[in-house]
Amino acid sequence: MNTPLAPTLDVSSTPRTPLSRLVGVEIRKAIDTRAGFWFASSIVGLVLVVLLIYTLAAPDAAKNFGDMLQVAGGVLGYFLPILIIMLVTGEQSQRNGLVTFTLEPQRSRVVAAKFLAGIALAATVMVLAFLIALVFTAVAAATGATPEWSVEGSLLFNGFVLANLIGIFVGFAIAMLLMNTPAGIVAYFVYSLILPIAAGILSALSSGFEKIAPWIEFNTAQTPLFTGDYQPSGEEWAQLVVTGTLWLVVPLVLGTLRLLRIEFK
Amino acid sequence: MITVDRLTKTYGAFTAVDDVSFVCQPGRVTGFLGPNGAGKTTTMRVMVGLTLPTRGEVTIGGLRYHDIPNPGRHVGTLLDASAQHVGRTGREILAIAAQTMGLPKTRVDEMLALVGLNDDEAGRRLRNYSLGMKQRLGIAHALLGDPSVLILDEPANGLDPAGIRWMRGLLKGYADRGGTVLLSSHLLHEVEQVADEMILIGRGRIVARGDRESLLAGANGTPVTLVTSLDNTALGAALTHAGHAVEPVGPGLRVQASPEQVGRTALGAGVVLTDLRSGGAGLEDLFLELTSADAREAVAGLAAPTTGGLPA
Ligand SMILES: Nc1ncnc2c1ncn2[C@@H]1O[C@H](COP(=O)(O)OP(=O)(O)OP(=O)(O)O)[C@@H](O)[C@H]1O
Ligand SMILES: [Mg+2]
Repeated sequence: MNTPLAPTLDVSSTPRTPLSRLVGVEIRKAIDTRAGFWFASSIVGLVLVVLLIYTLAAPDAAKNFGDMLQVAGGVLGYFLPILIIMLVTGEQSQRNGLVTFTLEPQRSRVVAAKFLAGIALAATVMVLAFLIALVFTAVAAATGATPEWSVEGSLLFNGFVLANLIGIFVGFAIAMLLMNTPAGIVAYFVYSLILPIAAGILSALSSGFEKIAPWIEFNTAQTPLFTGDYQPSGEEWAQLVVTGTLWLVVPLVLGTLRLLRIEFK
Repeated sequence: MITVDRLTKTYGAFTAVDDVSFVCQPGRVTGFLGPNGAGKTTTMRVMVGLTLPTRGEVTIGGLRYHDIPNPGRHVGTLLDASAQHVGRTGREILAIAAQTMGLPKTRVDEMLALVGLNDDEAGRRLRNYSLGMKQRLGIAHALLGDPSVLILDEPANGLDPAGIRWMRGLLKGYADRGGTVLLSSHLLHEVEQVADEMILIGRGRIVARGDRESLLAGANGTPVTLVTSLDNTALGAALTHAGHAVEPVGPGLRVQASPEQVGRTALGAGVVLTDLRSGGAGLEDLFLELTSADAREAVAGLAAPTTGGLPA
């Protein structure tokens, strides 16, 4: 139907929405609801409370800055991914995907924006947690302990930054695959709590399984990153790559493909 | 302008939209009418890229929706006013859209004022909105980017009578300024007063199209008139004598003739008319007949004034 006088849309005055603006919108969407705001604030609050309890209860010898960071990182590890899951699944669970993807029909750009927004939020929370850990180390020093202030770079990076980033990526992948908030949160806890326990029990029962566990279970494979000398061996790196592909890359790819095709109703 | 070209959408073995072609012209309001499940929403979702067509395509001003940069600035869409995060306030919902489109914050307040949501209401969360308030917010959302094309799925849904009248004026004004407006409805009388052209769809197929007059004329060759007079018996006899089919309805008569023919007959018979109306009921009947379960084929003889595409 090529009507000769078919009026065409003059799009010269409206450039494509810049990615930075989309990232800004996604950050705003993550914290502009009561649920989102309180969840993000409670993560910081929880770090505060847990570190307070830790400072009161732990023996003086275990109040080094590195210990504080590890505790804070543990708290973040459980809750940061949920913030990301809520950010992604909200489009479907709260149905605002209809509007999001009408305003930006290039869905891959929205996925990228969410990903970057998630990392930006996580970085903010991590910095806050880092500062809180500093404060409580100072408290420990003021209350009689003689904490070690220096931290090993690999502990800081592996145990705090990398571990949390991996958790965020896994949460992101799970969220896109399931596109449902409660299911995403449950799946993340199954992945992060139940799977490693199950792998531990099976490994204890069967030495055969103990050998293959680090090749198939991501949490088990990550252990060398956070323990010992924080320097995974060559074989351990290979295990990380194999399980990372299985638990991270494959779900991320499938989840992205799903999000690109899903019919938002 | 919106061009729907041989659009088909199937879900498994079920065909929701079946080889549909039509054009919405700028400067006109196009009404998209059909009963529940006819395929109106599906067609509109394909227009904005939320649903992928099985066959055929839709272009807006010559572009596929995906290829329009910052599409909210060109195409205003209202598909489902409740498809928003219920925990956000009305103002925040508009602010997010304005930020995405790169619009100044003042635009949000302008739109809130335009659709009649006051400060207090704009600050409530969507879960506490009434149906009509959600709808007004949805209309504000569609108008936010000052688009030249409007795609509105049942915009009158939940609006009070004053709101419906306001919306009619708004859409007319929009079209008069050169905008392209497509609105869907299942209520014929809601659309016929504002639409310059109507597309009737039933079970995924277009069953008729045209303006009000050509639809009526095409129905059975004769328009329908409702008339009430001081002497219905005498008028009825005169009309029958003149060869028009007459049946009593309510306080008056329903005549298969134009209002002019009825008026002339009354003049000749010397009967005083108290009410003379073009029979909207004729269109209503036509609509029901065309879109009833077994009316899957197009009605012969109906013109397709703007498309020159398929024989309707
Ligand atoms: N994802 C889907 N899977 C299967 N069937 C679907 C799907 N989406 C829509 N349909 C079917 O397509 C048909 C057309 O639906 P659509 O929503 O377009 O109707 P409509 O004309 O908008 O109706 P209403 O006036 O009730 O809003 C319906 O029978 C609907 O059940
Ligand atoms: Mg519908």
